[in-house]
Amino acid sequence: MPKPVENWKRLHTDAAFRERMKKRSQIIAGVRNFFADRDFLEVETPTVVSVPGTEPHLDPFITDVFDYEGRKHEAHLITSPEYAMKKLLAGGLPRIFEIARCYRNGEPWDGSHNPEFSMLEWYRADADYTDIMADIEQMVSEVAARITGSRTINYGGRRIDLSAPWPRMTVKEAMATYAGIDLDRAIDDEAWFRQEVENKGCPTGADDTFDDLFFRIFLRDVEPKLGVDKPVILCEYPRSMAALARMKEGDQRYAERFEAYCGGMELANAFSELNDGAEQRRRLDDDLLLREQLGKHTYSVDEQFLEAVGQMPKAGGIALGIDRLVMLLTDASTIRDVLFFPAGDLFE
Amino acid sequence: MADTSDLKRDVYIMFKDGINNVVDFQHVNPGKGSAFVRTRLKNVETGKVLEHTFKAGETIEYVDLDRANMQYLYKDTDSFYFMDNKSYEQYAIPVDLIGEKGGYIKEGQEVQVLMHDSRPLSIALPMKLTFKVVEAMPAVKGDTSSGRVLKEVTLDTGLKIKVPIFVDQGEMVVVNTESGEYVERASSK
Repeated sequence: MPKPVENWKRLHTDAAFRERMKKRSQIIAGVRNFFADRDFLEVETPTVVSVPGTEPHLDPFITDVFDYEGRKHEAHLITSPEYAMKKLLAGGLPRIFEIARCYRNGEPWDGSHNPEFSMLEWYRADADYTDIMADIEQMVSEVAARITGSRTINYGGRRIDLSAPWPRMTVKEAMATYAGIDLDRAIDDEAWFRQEVENKGCPTGADDTFDDLFFRIFLRDVEPKLGVDKPVILCEYPRSMAALARMKEGDQRYAERFEAYCGGMELANAFSELNDGAEQRRRLDDDLLLREQLGKHTYSVDEQFLEAVGQMPKAGGIALGIDRLVMLLTDASTIRDVLFFPAGDLFE
Repeated sequence: MADTSDLKRDVYIMFKDGINNVVDFQHVNPGKGSAFVRTRLKNVETGKVLEHTFKAGETIEYVDLDRANMQYLYKDTDSFYFMDNKSYEQYAIPVDLIGEKGGYIKEGQEVQVLMHDSRPLSIALPMKLTFKVVEAMPAVKGDTSSGRVLKEVTLDTGLKIKVPIFVDQGEMVVVNTESGEYVERASSK
């Protein structure tokens, strides 16, 4: 493929790009206003840390920090500001938000991914994921109204109504509706689930885990149907998919986690935050073990983070991709069109 | 062993015991799970399109195709017809297997036909080809949504594409045959 013109050079000739980048700045200002109006404190946390998140499938950037005596400390760039923000929650700050630069290596530079991206996270003490649902639908629709003059936007040739409330659907309902699969049974009986996936015309791999089987069907039959005309809040994920979330009261097979989907994109991921330090340690150990099995770079757990989880109040929190929000509100089909310097312009 | 990292648009793979053309693919990274590649596959026997989610790193059997130089003869509602330059044998490729590539060829033109076990599956096109604009409306206030002002013109193959408004009837234009997008005016070079 011919190399596209670098974005900073496009500024001269491409008025639509210039306009979109102005809107990006307004959207971020709108987000800050929304949270300031609701008594959230904006915080800044480090992006170079000793220990990053343990998500088994993410590749953090690895570096070293040298102190003035030349001693080397292994360091990483954050994949999310979550650990630091939970420490601040434990420290007694009840409502906080941050727009953080985050870094994930080894991801494709296309569509909705860039190795360096902006993540908005916010946390509320004495709250759970339902409070966060109310936050996100108000925030997105208010910022849209402020920037575009309407709560209904055009995205990818479709009209999307962003006004609150957004419909809620459990993962179980979505799997039943769009894929015809009984998720309760799938969780209880993995052999049956594997056969069901095969029966749906989807070949599986011998080493597929429950999560792999789930995603093969979910990505094919469910996700493309989500949030087409209106964003949808997809909630209550199988427990294996929520290492930092609290389990659902009354059904320990599911976790209090939700994702917001809009225009075929995953916009945000939220939890009722786990605040049991011992349970958190078990899950991080499981994650690290899985990292080792997958042949990924491993590290120790962040002990201060575990200490903080044990001291944290009941809380809800969320991570929302700012670049994706900008894509949505400026009708951009790729993340490249909402960044001055996308990775493809820097590294090829 | 070949795997999902070799997936490209328009390669041929074995899937469920049949040869399938990769119509489209997209990397998906749910973050909390493994990475996957979402694909749209067209079975070359049945023409049926289906979707499949591969796990990143999963082994895939790619199908190697032979290339034969043939002359494009004509088309009817079902197929495009070609003649092998060496054997003078005629071959038909169903319209839906050729897909959008059919819009870029002219009768009498020599093309490379992709063959598997003596069976023609599709044609190979250079990434960029030059065409004559046979019909172009005078510029009106065009579609400005992409930041460039574009208008629709008809090429000498009958294909309609969007070009900048300064392109006139009778001019030669270079077109990207993968994206279907205008690249530049050929006469200006």
